[in-house]
Amino acid sequence: MVACIEGRNVSLTFRPPNRGPVRALQGFDIDVQDGEFLSIVGPSGCGKSTFLNVVLGLIKADSGDVLMRGKPIAGPGTDRAMVFQEFGLLPWRTVLNNIELGLELKGVPAGQRRDVSQRFVQMVGLSGFEGHYPHELSGGMKQRVGLARALATDPDVLLMDEPFAALDAQTRDVMQVELLRIWHEAKKTVLFVTHQIEEAIYLSDRVMVMTKRPGHAKKIFAIDLPRPRDYEMRVTPEFNELKLQIWHALKDEITV
Amino acid sequence: MQNAGAPRESFLERHRKVLLGLLAVLLFFAAWQAAFLVVPFNPLFISKPNLIAKAFVDLIADGDMLRDLGVSAMPFLYGFVSAAVVGIVVGIVMGWRVRVGYALDPLMTVFYATPLVALAPLVIVFFGVGVSGKAIIIFSLSVFPFIFNAQAGVRAVDRLLINVVRSLGGSEWDLYVKVIVPGVLPYIVAGARIAVGRALIGILVGEFFAASEGIGYAIARFGDLFALDKMFACILAIMVIAIVLTEGIRWAERAAFPWRVGR
Repeated sequence: MVACIEGRNVSLTFRPPNRGPVRALQGFDIDVQDGEFLSIVGPSGCGKSTFLNVVLGLIKADSGDVLMRGKPIAGPGTDRAMVFQEFGLLPWRTVLNNIELGLELKGVPAGQRRDVSQRFVQMVGLSGFEGHYPHELSGGMKQRVGLARALATDPDVLLMDEPFAALDAQTRDVMQVELLRIWHEAKKTVLFVTHQIEEAIYLSDRVMVMTKRPGHAKKIFAIDLPRPRDYEMRVTPEFNELKLQIWHALKDEITV
Repeated sequence: MQNAGAPRESFLERHRKVLLGLLAVLLFFAAWQAAFLVVPFNPLFISKPNLIAKAFVDLIADGDMLRDLGVSAMPFLYGFVSAAVVGIVVGIVMGWRVRVGYALDPLMTVFYATPLVALAPLVIVFFGVGVSGKAIIIFSLSVFPFIFNAQAGVRAVDRLLINVVRSLGGSEWDLYVKVIVPGVLPYIVAGARIAVGRALIGILVGEFFAASEGIGYAIARFGDLFALDKMFACILAIMVIAIVLTEGIRWAERAAFPWRVGR
């Protein structure tokens, strides 16, 4: 079976002007299965966000293969969509118009766009806020818009780059529960990048730990906790055991 | 909303910004008028507010001022609108296309620093005393605020938004239409406020050097005739127009960019 997303021996070096080159990824391998929720945790600057941007098609790897259903990724495509840490909402567009952005760029007629965006407003729980501008929303609501915008184009893969890192702790807990509900409903493959071990375990089918820069896969953990998962699961012995194992794999990679 | 439950503010408190501003203006004219009671100025060289007000009313009543303003309005409109169109396009391209920016920056700075007013006689020689000569002077004075502000606006565009549109399959054109232009608009409006002032200077300069009608010509002629009441009345008209245009732009800005409210 062909994996949904496949990375083979991926290497990438940034060459910023007037500074030394930065090796972000080196010999990075990954397989993401269809319908899977896979999280990547790793130390800051290990290249995990870089890999998401490669999959998104915004940057190119220097060497190695990055494949989507067996085909090399050449650029952005409607089979993938990203949810950004800093939301990336257009400040001059209302909630509804922000959600429609991807459909608009695809050339979907206005009436049809409206129907789709209305449906996703409902799904992410923003009914009543359709006409609000981003500056009128809380952080959690902004990310709901970001999620709805990504889902509206009906991608196969949802790429999430530390989507809840800019939110306060309680809002983040609520958003994690919400994300699982939406994931069940929308049935997407998710590649999720985070710093938080607990978040990764709670959400994922598998968790990959990356090494420090230049980053590659260190270890992959299967999270065999039953679904649907509720908040109370986070205090079970199985959960804590996983947390400890992942922490042990991760801690040697962290330099302060 | 934040005042809910608080006692209603009085008329004076609600409009204190406008009222205090008006008060200062009135005090200024009162002091001007009062100065004549103390110092015996030569009325040949200076006028006082009550005479200016009378001249203002007279000039409007006999239609002279409106005719002059009408004559000046055409070159103003042509010059200002073309400056806006050209300045916005050039500024956006200079800001977004890095190499174009590098190439044109020094040239634009040189032009901006040039005392274009001093070249006005040449423009009149080349293009005559009609609408086109004046419009070109107005254009060359008011185009720069549009260029520089549009360029600064593009540079302030959030790179994340560019990536968002790219990742959703947007083309280069989509970037301009969906991100760059909306992001730059508030900067352009700020530039327009500066450009209005410079364009008004442009119309006066153009008409001072060579013209047979128009508000600038009227000011120069009344000055030559020592008809200072009328000269100041015309200057007053220009001031009023400047305030109306600038405030009009400010008002349009609030109405057009609701997402900026509360920033």
